Amino acid sequence: MRKAAGTLIGKSASRVVRMRGRSAGQALPGLIVETLVPGYLGVMLTQLPEGVVIVTGTNGKTTTTKMIVEVLQVNGKRVLTNATGSNLTRGIISSISQRATPGGRLPFDIAVFELDEAYAHQFTNAIKPRFVLALNASRDQLDRYGEVDTVAKLIGDAMLSATDRIVTNADDPRLLAIAQQANVPSDYFGVAVGLRKFFPRDDELVAVGSPKMYVKAPSDTLAVELASFKGSQATYRIGKQRIQTKLEVTGQHNFQNAAGALALLRVLLPKVQITQIVKQLSMVQPAFGRGEIFHLKDGSKLQLNLVKNPASFRQGIASYVRPNEAVMIAINDKLADSRDVSWLWDIDFTGLQMSHVAVTTGSRAADMALRLAYDETTVDIVKPHIDEALQEFAKLPGDKVIFASYTAMLRLYEILKTKAGKKL
Amino acid sequence: MKQIHVVHIYPDEMNTYGDRGNLLTLVKRTEWYGFEPVVHYYHVGEPFPKDADIVLGGGGQDSAQDDIQHDVLRIGDRIHKLVDAEVPMLLICGTYQLFGTRFVTHTGQEIQGIGVFDSETIGDNKRLIGNVAVSCTDFGTLYGFENHSGRTILLNDQAPLGKIIRGNGNNGTDNTEGARTRNALGTYMHGPLLPANPQLADGLLTLALRRHGVEVTLTGLDDTLAAQVRKSAATRDY
Repeated sequence: MRKAAGTLIGKSASRVVRMRGRSAGQALPGLIVETLVPGYLGVMLTQLPEGVVIVTGTNGKTTTTKMIVEVLQVNGKRVLTNATGSNLTRGIISSISQRATPGGRLPFDIAVFELDEAYAHQFTNAIKPRFVLALNASRDQLDRYGEVDTVAKLIGDAMLSATDRIVTNADDPRLLAIAQQANVPSDYFGVAVGLRKFFPRDDELVAVGSPKMYVKAPSDTLAVELASFKGSQATYRIGKQRIQTKLEVTGQHNFQNAAGALALLRVLLPKVQITQIVKQLSMVQPAFGRGEIFHLKDGSKLQLNLVKNPASFRQGIASYVRPNEAVMIAINDKLADSRDVSWLWDIDFTGLQMSHVAVTTGSRAADMALRLAYDETTVDIVKPHIDEALQEFAKLPGDKVIFASYTAMLRLYEILKTKAGKKL
Repeated sequence: MKQIHVVHIYPDEMNTYGDRGNLLTLVKRTEWYGFEPVVHYYHVGEPFPKDADIVLGGGGQDSAQDDIQHDVLRIGDRIHKLVDAEVPMLLICGTYQLFGTRFVTHTGQEIQGIGVFDSETIGDNKRLIGNVAVSCTDFGTLYGFENHSGRTILLNDQAPLGKIIRGNGNNGTDNTEGARTRNALGTYMHGPLLPANPQLADGLLTLALRRHGVEVTLTGLDDTLAAQVRKSAATRDY
């Protein structure tokens, strides 16, 4: 009864939202269903024969979820997932009601959801996931969470709700400690010791001395290790095999995320050869606004990158800044961006000195330019209005790269999706 | 060239909200004004640096405060001597609390402070988070961001750093923000307070130079961007 009622309400609400010109998959239909049909989420998801998988962590959820979903699909699984970035419980409920049959049946084998850590508790109260993949815990939106330990605790709540298995990052001391006290077995992924310097832990982002030593899972206990990378090539050590592959997703952080996806996929697809899984994963394209490339009408390429916190901005600079290319940085301060822009001061921007920061934009355009001034990097244009800033930036010759906070990225994506190659 | 020794205390523990920004601003401005900044990082258990012209301390997580509280007591006498000698200090959030008289966590645990400020902080479950503006007699209007669960009450005649124009400040009730004892400034406005308030950065530097007998009016840097930041900060919501 609840299945059919909730589905009907969700579908109707989505239609209304769509008619009013907002894209479907947003939170409102989910909120309505949640209020009118309590327990909907739980009864719907218990139908799935292979259960629920959660992907959580501070950075990399969207891209990693996409990798897992697409590889499962290639192997013939019918996978239910949430619309990109709709990672709050309500967004997930919206996705469910839209994908269910009118009678409330979910014609899927398995669900893979990316879940915002702040909603992990609410979600796992409704349904226990079989598998949880936890990627990392890093300083992020501290105006929402208060402190890093709180962020880790929220992710930990999700991990400890797994009924079958946890997959987590052995290089993240907070998550490793949580996995070690869980009642279910854990699989670990990590990076080779020699690569550690490219993947600093949260504490290392800001440390000036020698940060406290943490227990690190020994290399031979890792299910999947990122052994090396160069350009778009990565080598993984999985058991006794070393597998080299080119990846379509870009950025060193995504090579690390792919290690997590592989560690989970080898458990989800025990009958498929790991070399086959790696090959399928290598073809997954970047998620929207996460290293996505747009072709402009003058033939140049423009890469759009979401940056959310010191860790992701740092990875973005290391992966995407190329000599002499023009850079635009778009920083807003809405709730989804972080209202507090202090995090900009925890990033080392000296890596931008080889490029050319042409524009800063967004509601915090001046704050961003001021931040760069203290790293002795000058900005040509400070223009808070994002649409106008993009107009000017797109006119510059050569390939270009944009780093944007969440709501700024959404706006830029919206414009680029319709105008790139035509008006821009 | 005149050297300015900046001592950044507990940089690995007290660094949650962009505290590096304050250090960077002081270091760069010192350089740009033609002096030589020398940075000393002070870590738990080490000898306190001999030269200290400016002392900086940042905000940290609750767990980090546990890590440093005993050490703060250990260096308390030295800190008091520096305060009495008019050394300028900027102490943010967690460090500000431990430089007060005492701190009672919301679980009732009492932590003794070193009493540079005659203040007492009580932990609360609800954090005070938002954009802050403070009017300050010596340093003009200060714009910053607060994010703290402690409520600080100034005791006896303890002077505040300034008066709240927007935000909660020390406790959300008495309109005070921060504390000032001689040239030691405590505040809840965290991390990159100095870049958005260059007059405060220059104020600390001027006080440091004065102790060396150098009387200067610091001018001549291009603060156009800071002016733009301040202009939009002036109209921002809490």
